[in-house]
Amino acid sequence: MLKFLIRRLVQAAATVLCVLTIAFFLGRASGKPGALLLTDGATAEQIDQLNETLGFNRPLLAQYVDFALGVFRGDFGSSYRNPSIPAIELVAERLPATVSLALTSFVIGVVLALAAALSIHVFRSRKLRALFIWGGSLRQSVPDFFFGVLAVLVFSVVLGALPSLGFTGPASYVLPVMTIATGQFVLYVRLLDSALTEQSSQDYVRTAYARGKSHGAVVATEMLPNALLPVMTMAGLNLAGLLGGAVIVEQVFAWPGVGEVLINAVSQRDFAIVQAGLLVVALMFVVVNIVVDVLYSVLDPRVRLS
Amino acid sequence: MSQLASSRRPAVRRTARTRRRIGRLPLLPFIGAVLLAVMAVFIVVVPMLPGFDPLTQNLSMARLAPFTDAAHPLGTDSIGRDLLSRLAEGGRITMSITLAVVAINVVLGIILGLCAGFFGGWIDNVIGLVSDANLAMPVVLLLIAISSVTGPSATLMIVVLGCTFWMGYARVARAIAISLRGRDFVVAPQILGAGAAWTIRKHILPHVLPQMLILAVTDIGVVMLVQAGLDFLGLGVQPPSPTWGGMILEGQKMLRLSPWQAIIPGTAIFMLVVGTQFVSQLLTAESSTPLRKARRANV
Repeated sequence: MLKFLIRRLVQAAATVLCVLTIAFFLGRASGKPGALLLTDGATAEQIDQLNETLGFNRPLLAQYVDFALGVFRGDFGSSYRNPSIPAIELVAERLPATVSLALTSFVIGVVLALAAALSIHVFRSRKLRALFIWGGSLRQSVPDFFFGVLAVLVFSVVLGALPSLGFTGPASYVLPVMTIATGQFVLYVRLLDSALTEQSSQDYVRTAYARGKSHGAVVATEMLPNALLPVMTMAGLNLAGLLGGAVIVEQVFAWPGVGEVLINAVSQRDFAIVQAGLLVVALMFVVVNIVVDVLYSVLDPRVRLS
Repeated sequence: MSQLASSRRPAVRRTARTRRRIGRLPLLPFIGAVLLAVMAVFIVVVPMLPGFDPLTQNLSMARLAPFTDAAHPLGTDSIGRDLLSRLAEGGRITMSITLAVVAINVVLGIILGLCAGFFGGWIDNVIGLVSDANLAMPVVLLLIAISSVTGPSATLMIVVLGCTFWMGYARVARAIAISLRGRDFVVAPQILGAGAAWTIRKHILPHVLPQMLILAVTDIGVVMLVQAGLDFLGLGVQPPSPTWGGMILEGQKMLRLSPWQAIIPGTAIFMLVVGTQFVSQLLTAESSTPLRKARRANV
């Protein structure tokens, strides 16, 4: 187990280092940002002066080593626009909002899908399957941001029942969570449904029936634990993607998350902030995947032993 | 005993379901094809109409509701631009970008997949590695990162999207190339002195193309969703050129006063994505037969 964990940690470190290197060279590939940051009237000396203070005039390799060492100390450099504020601080203060939104939506989406897939198999109903999969697929054909706009229109503008923008209290979670969770729903229903179907023809299921277990008990206690394993890997990848990819939904609801900071950084050409954001997302991606792998190996010894 | 019987039931039901699904097939793909045809005709015909003008602003005619004014059948937006014209022009831009992106990915995927499958070895490994790295990179973040350096533009979005959806094509092309590379009709020309490129083009590519087209139809919907999302974030086509995603962004700000501004382009995206999904369902079901026949004929 320890060996397995160490191997995964080394892999994770390599991934983060990779993203770090790409992020660094992407930022420098465009040349020195001094000219972009100053107004059009700036003289060549002023531009050079700014490049000098931001450290862009030093050899590339020295800059890279400094940057990498800084990252390991938790120092991602300062925002280009506001040199007094560390870039990582701007990202970190928005992180809780993004993580809580992603986690809530993820959990609700998975629980809904679990309920749907279980009801399909407990009632052995073709109609239920058609309903959930077709309904979910149609929902998936609506882009998330348009679904969000429609939800705001119905629940905030017409009914006036829920807040539409920003974060004003727990009720603010309802619309964005609904948008993300329903968008992910059909993905998990499909996975769980095919995993349960696969399990239903296994020998151990027949044995369970022969022992006199009821159909509901067989589905819930015998088939479900085995069907969950393959779904878990996919769900882990998805959660990690959600943490980085909920930018669009955050934008629809003016959610005070990392997405807003990143989009503002694009319009201000503040690459330092984007760099910090990218690395934080990569770190979360890696952590989620390690947690999934460890869980998996705890639940299924075959993974650990191979 | 009854429980034993019940445990066997799923197998029987599955065949019944398959038969039903095949029997039901023609309707949905038909609806899908009609949807796509209507959209295509719409995008082509509307620009020929006399009142076509997606850009001129007219504040005295702002926020006309749909179906109230004969000159503006779908109404106008918050600065008085004709929504019918903007929907058609936005559709033309959105569709051409989507088709260009899909085409780039198909070509890239076929070339990389065939090389990986045909040559194997380290070429296969390198292409596999690039593909994995690509899968792990969320496209929105990648585009944010590059845009924060260069500024957002349509070209940049096309290039980035053009490099992010090729992995599916490559995987299928690689699998087919591997299954064929040991066959006599592939090996014989090489013994006679044919080059690898010629052999691939002449003897492997024809087996790959039909599959690629099926994947491409399915991908049109996916790419359109992603692209509309990027336009919505302002990372794609820049105003004043209309796009469906951009129109929803403008409409979102006016949701209280003129909700149709967002609803009209949103419905267009939905119809197009559903249309491609329905059509691709038919293609997926039909694809195996001619492919299988072709393979058998070549043995």
